Amino acid sequence: MRDVAILGAGMTPCRSRWVEKTFWELAQMAVSEAVHDAGIHIQEVEAGVAGIYNDIFEFQAIPESGFQGIIGLQNKPLMRVTNGGATGAYSMLAAYNMIASGQYELMVVLGVEKALDAYDFEAESNTPAVVQTIGYSWDPWFERPLGAHASESYAEVIQAYMDEHPGDLAPLARARIVELLCQQAQNNPYAQRRGEKVTADQVLHSRYVVYPVRVLETCVYTEGACALIFASPRMARKIKERTGREPIWLTGVGAANEPYFVGNDITRYKVLHRIYSDYLATKTALEMARIGIQDVQVIELHDAFIPQMMITLAEMGVVPLGRANDLVEKGIILPGGKLLVNPSGGLVFGGHFVGGSNMMSTWSAMREMRARNFEHGLIHGTGASLSMYGVAMVLERRA
Amino acid sequence: MAHGRKAETPAKGKARPVIPAAMLPLEGITEVQAGDGIYLQRNDAMFTGMKHSQGEFSDFFLALRDEGKLFGHRCPECRHLIVPPFMRRCPACNFVEMKKEYVRDTGFMAASPVITVFAPSRFKGQEPFGTGRVFLEAEDGKLSDTAMLVRVRTTTGTIRPGIYKKATPVKIAFCDSRRGEMLDIFAVPQSELTPKQLARSPLLESEIEWGKLSEMEFGKPTLQLQKTLREVKAHFGKLAKLIAKSPRATANLANWRRTVAVRTGGGTFSLVFGQGKLGVRDGGVQGAQLVVAIRDPAILLAWLRECVSPGGDGSKSPALTDLVIEGTLVLDRPELETITRLDRVPRSLRRDNVVRPPVASAQK
Repeated sequence: MRDVAILGAGMTPCRSRWVEKTFWELAQMAVSEAVHDAGIHIQEVEAGVAGIYNDIFEFQAIPESGFQGIIGLQNKPLMRVTNGGATGAYSMLAAYNMIASGQYELMVVLGVEKALDAYDFEAESNTPAVVQTIGYSWDPWFERPLGAHASESYAEVIQAYMDEHPGDLAPLARARIVELLCQQAQNNPYAQRRGEKVTADQVLHSRYVVYPVRVLETCVYTEGACALIFASPRMARKIKERTGREPIWLTGVGAANEPYFVGNDITRYKVLHRIYSDYLATKTALEMARIGIQDVQVIELHDAFIPQMMITLAEMGVVPLGRANDLVEKGIILPGGKLLVNPSGGLVFGGHFVGGSNMMSTWSAMREMRARNFEHGLIHGTGASLSMYGVAMVLERRA
Repeated sequence: MAHGRKAETPAKGKARPVIPAAMLPLEGITEVQAGDGIYLQRNDAMFTGMKHSQGEFSDFFLALRDEGKLFGHRCPECRHLIVPPFMRRCPACNFVEMKKEYVRDTGFMAASPVITVFAPSRFKGQEPFGTGRVFLEAEDGKLSDTAMLVRVRTTTGTIRPGIYKKATPVKIAFCDSRRGEMLDIFAVPQSELTPKQLARSPLLESEIEWGKLSEMEFGKPTLQLQKTLREVKAHFGKLAKLIAKSPRATANLANWRRTVAVRTGGGTFSLVFGQGKLGVRDGGVQGAQLVVAIRDPAILLAWLRECVSPGGDGSKSPALTDLVIEGTLVLDRPELETITRLDRVPRSLRRDNVVRPPVASAQK
């Protein structure tokens, strides 16, 4: 497989609701930013991948169809990807493969989402309708009729992990991570919660959404878009000649989806206290890039819920399973620690526009790698019931 | 097998609308003021009626409904037993046909269940509810290889942490009136059942004694607890007066009628909700629609003080919903609405300036 270059990125601001913008406009804003950042003309782009999580949020089936002329890909291939919360990462994986296979030289990969148009007219609130819409992701025979939903599902994994590792995922460690992400989000000009100050004490006193997860430990609902420009090494060299900018390289990719049903045999069923997909995806990506987790200086990972983020970091090998408190207690991810995690503020503070938030993670990691001269970064996406989808991608900056 | 019935039979039981009328939007286009102008939003719905086919799972749901039994599928080659029977062929054995096998209605929790506080639209009014996964026992006593998601309940009030843990022995009980769906069944800890109940199969919901708050027997109240209770009642009285001055707080309690008996370690009193108002009564009330129990009335007092005191920002004392979820405040039935409405009151009082907001907020 060839390495693939990322030449540019474009972001819209993340907002809880963009009543001023449709998802067509958000998509065009992001693509426009991305091509200008990459120093290319959209007519040079040969194909695209569009990550859109949920038709209901867009209020349209086949929502990507309208993009074709809007984002400048008329009469060119555009493939829509939808893979739960990992839609953004899977979209990037699809674009990576389309370039690495040699079929295309220059592509745009786009992620966009509306969400807060969903509205519960009885409760006079958006939230129950958004939660219900995400709840439609569960199977309609066995689990959805019981009221299964995203928070409940991730909380199951978190609770099972806590059963297995009593004392880990300690409330104070979780609260300090929230405080850290809040501070880091202040450096993200597109962050949804820029300007907010959330302290660990507030986290510890915030309400439960689903026991044992508190509201300030959860990601936000976001509307926004992000676009990235992917290129083959040959095209990257050609474009560098006119822009003078070295791209960031995608040198390792990995993905794995765990089974839907829970059991004890990890080779056949979802084992509740693990996020095995994260383990497998990260292992594959690191092996492909020929590096170890200790070589990674920045991770932008999919923090749907803070305790899940801690489990994911353990699955990645940053700390052993059962020792996730060390992330804070040993200062591993704190300022001055050996690993920078979610400098964007993550999905909790930066924003979670589901189809594209993993692309926001990529934008952020590239930015930090350039600003801090980091050599390696890691991008992660998770999603679906019980956090069963996992994608990891290694980024490399070459001097 | 489910085949053989070609004609469509009417649904059993009294039919309710799938979507409650209150959830249906009325036609209309409204204006929204955003940063640089006026924008429009149109009331709408992504609406598709469904006669959703249950296909090969029909047998499983018919067994729940008509036989009061559970079954799984077992692979004749690798011997894995899956419950529920979510597939008919074993992919690990190159799709060999699996065999139907009835299982016992007893098993063990795969992990501690989780408790939903804020439910999706379609499940409003059911909170708090617990969901967890159960490994069921086969007839030979061995456990199934997969764990089935079920609602988990307790006979001792509403669900709360600590009732169930990983490996807690449970029994699957059946609703008396069943429709052929997962909500026809639920788990109960075996420790809460009598030997006679444990021996029954199927065990029906009506054969279980619900709403037992037996572990909340408080004994004789101490003088200190009685004093605290007097303060609690006085503060609820003060809160009632403040609610009457606050349009938002009044709206929080609008269209809500409940008589609530509050049992504490210091004694019992009652709250009466009606016409947007809150009333406080000494002692219990006959036929209370909700019973709540809390051992230490000082916890309620802390919440009340933060509600009614100038400068309280509601961030120090846990929300009443959290007290329910943590099991400090126990309800005799899964009805969180009264508590969540009360929880909204402190913020409303501050927003209406009936209670002075904290200094930092006031300066914003």
